[in-house]
Amino acid sequence: MDPSEVEFLAERELVKVIPNFTHDKIYLISGDVGPFSAGLPLPVPLWLAVNLKQRQKCRFVAPDWMDIDVLKEKKQEEADSRFFTPMPSPHYMEITQLLLQWGTDDIPKADEIRTLVKDIWDLRIAKLRSSIDVFVKSGESHAKLNYLTLMEINTVRLFLTKALNHMHQLKSVTSRDTTNSNSQAF
Amino acid sequence: MSTEDVGDDLLETVDDEEEEEAMTAPEVLHKLEEAWLNEKFSPDLLPVKSNLVECMLDQIVAMENNISTLKKGDFRISVHRMEIDRIRYVISSYLRHRLAKIESLTTHVLQEEEKRRDSENVLMSPAELEFAKGYCNSVMTHLTNTALDHMPLKAATPNAKEIAVLPNLDSYVFLKVNENTENVLVEEETVDAREEIMDFEKGDQHIMRYKPIASLVESGGVSLI
Repeated sequence: MDPSEVEFLAERELVKVIPNFTHDKIYLISGDVGPFSAGLPLPVPLWLAVNLKQRQKCRFVAPDWMDIDVLKEKKQEEADSRFFTPMPSPHYMEITQLLLQWGTDDIPKADEIRTLVKDIWDLRIAKLRSSIDVFVKSGESHAKLNYLTLMEINTVRLFLTKALNHMHQLKSVTSRDTTNSNSQAF
Repeated sequence: MSTEDVGDDLLETVDDEEEEEAMTAPEVLHKLEEAWLNEKFSPDLLPVKSNLVECMLDQIVAMENNISTLKKGDFRISVHRMEIDRIRYVISSYLRHRLAKIESLTTHVLQEEEKRRDSENVLMSPAELEFAKGYCNSVMTHLTNTALDHMPLKAATPNAKEIAVLPNLDSYVFLKVNENTENVLVEEETVDAREEIMDFEKGDQHIMRYKPIASLVESGGVSLI
């Protein structure tokens, strides 16, 4: 999957914005949004938030977890744990990326937040790589991936699935299973 | 059958219909997005979700009519347009993935469709079926004209079963569990390994081969991610 498609999915998440205009409820197909009243924060889908920001119609409100202390704690927890820890948002990376890209001024201490989120990402990706190594070497046929976010899965998707497909094929050939001979490799 | 039974049956059918009608537009959209991802990642063609696609297309048409009644420069126009574009993207990507699979697995999907003809759960929409048949014919005509006609008679009679490209059902997929499911057979018993059985808990994510969970994808017990 293209990373932009993961971002597309992340854009459905709700974030809070403070509009600078007043408007009745908007009846979207994906659900109602609003009513907007100038100065009052309300949740909107991320794609709409970015669009409003681009038209200078709102300010972003940082999500609760987008906070130096919370993220530092999270980073420590991630570093201490052998396993993946649950993230505050299933799309934390994309949301951070989009909010900081378009509204650096609205998010307090944007630079530090960017660094912390990147640190957490790096920790998790390093963990992911080493667990893939263990998984592949173990020759197991399945693995549980709880708390991995879609963007993280997506970074290893092609490599991992292809490698496992090949390994499975080799294994089934050695066990004289010929049913695969005319199947198509994707 | 007693009268009571008849009454129960009626009630149930009414319930079913109501359930379908009661699905709100956001729910339909969510289902469609799920179907899109399933189709994107599954190696095999999944049963078509015509009702979801049509429902969303109707919503788009209705929304476009609404937009045309708005005054020029209305703030809502661009918001609605943007949403429509997002939904259109999902629908067209969904249909494109299906067409790509129909093209690469033509004979296989036609055979599968044949098996399912009498069941309610059809594999392809009428338009897709027509496309698959047309595509199959064109490829065969092309092969006949360019190669088979110039071969000895014995080699020139291809067998549909032999030339069918089959999906690699053993390919690995990522999945997320929607409903608790117990005793999923992950690995069949082989000469050098015992069979493996697992319980799926709601919210779990796994990577494994597609084949053991194919039926769960169809029933909605798991979604591919």
